[in-house]
Amino acid sequence: MEHGHEIGSHPLAHFAGLTFNMDTLIMTWITMAIVIVLAIAATRRIELRPRGWQNFLEMAVVYLLEQVETNMGPKGQKLAPLIITLFLFLVVGNELGLVPGFTSPTNDINTTLGLALMIVAIVHVLGIKNKGFTRYIKHFFEPYIPFVVINIIEEVAKPITLSFRLFGNILAGEILLLVLGMLVPYFVPTLWLAFSVFVGIVQAFIFTMLSISYLSNSMQDGH
Amino acid sequence: MVELNGTLLAQIVNFLLLVVILAKFAYKPLMQGLADRQQKIADAIDTAERDRREAEQLKLEYKQHLVEARAKAQAIVETAEKLAEENKEEILKSARAESAHILQKAQEEVMRERELALAQLRSEVVAMSMAAATKIVKEKMDTELNASIVSDFIEKLDEQKIGGMPC
Repeated sequence: MEHGHEIGSHPLAHFAGLTFNMDTLIMTWITMAIVIVLAIAATRRIELRPRGWQNFLEMAVVYLLEQVETNMGPKGQKLAPLIITLFLFLVVGNELGLVPGFTSPTNDINTTLGLALMIVAIVHVLGIKNKGFTRYIKHFFEPYIPFVVINIIEEVAKPITLSFRLFGNILAGEILLLVLGMLVPYFVPTLWLAFSVFVGIVQAFIFTMLSISYLSNSMQDGH
Repeated sequence: MVELNGTLLAQIVNFLLLVVILAKFAYKPLMQGLADRQQKIADAIDTAERDRREAEQLKLEYKQHLVEARAKAQAIVETAEKLAEENKEEILKSARAESAHILQKAQEEVMRERELALAQLRSEVVAMSMAAATKIVKEKMDTELNASIVSDFIEKLDEQKIGGMPC
């Protein structure tokens, strides 16, 4: 149970003046490798009648594509690979921590905040691109000028809530799994493990859907 | 425990890398496959709809054909019945005519036979009465007269070709 004491503290590496959490990076690469292998295996030969893994992946992807289409319209199609990749990465990353000996890359605030900041950055870039710079700035002062405070708080809150929700859920899940394993072995941790599988999928889904929702706001031409 | 550092940047780079890789190697074939499937399903539905319409058309046609055929059959049966009736009448008429003809012929035949028989009978009666008369008057006639009468008689017999009678 040495592993349990390591959660939250990371072995560090220094490179080019920056500090990196090596365990998070390694788990991220493992997650990426798994996602790539699964995605390519599932799409290498698209069959007319989907079977097995392809069927499952397609179900998720088609659902996400529908969400992208209904929320963002035809312009959002360009972002579809990003959304789908986000969901696959988060699902695999969340579930990876449930495998003994592995941790989730999403149990590090650097991962979740990084993803959230990236999404928010895309939101603002697209907002400027779609609405024009003046209208983009103007929409912070709507409906009345004093609302600028609330609007800016909202914009700042977006990446923070997005990243902390995922980070907290996954880290807490892993910590609780280890704690339960030490307190009441076998049965209760197994139940929690099963629930964590569910939580991992749900959190990935929430993160993805909120990202779609934020992105769709900036895709609209109105206001 | 919660500490931001260079990992954040690395994770963004990692994720964007993953997006690029997936977009290139998985997203395109997936979309192609989905599009193909959609096309195929649309085609299948179209074909099914077309087939269904065709089948309906055919069914309608067949129904019409059936009605026509039935009407035709009815007409044929009616014609045949009428023809048979006519034939029957004709046959009966000709049969009646034939029978009447045969009857008439038979009656004529009978009449002729009767006439013939009567004539024969008459001539035979004449011959017999002549023969009887000859026998009766034989005693009282001279030979000469007798001979003439006899020869007369014989001649008459020859004339009338009534033979088989002993003289």
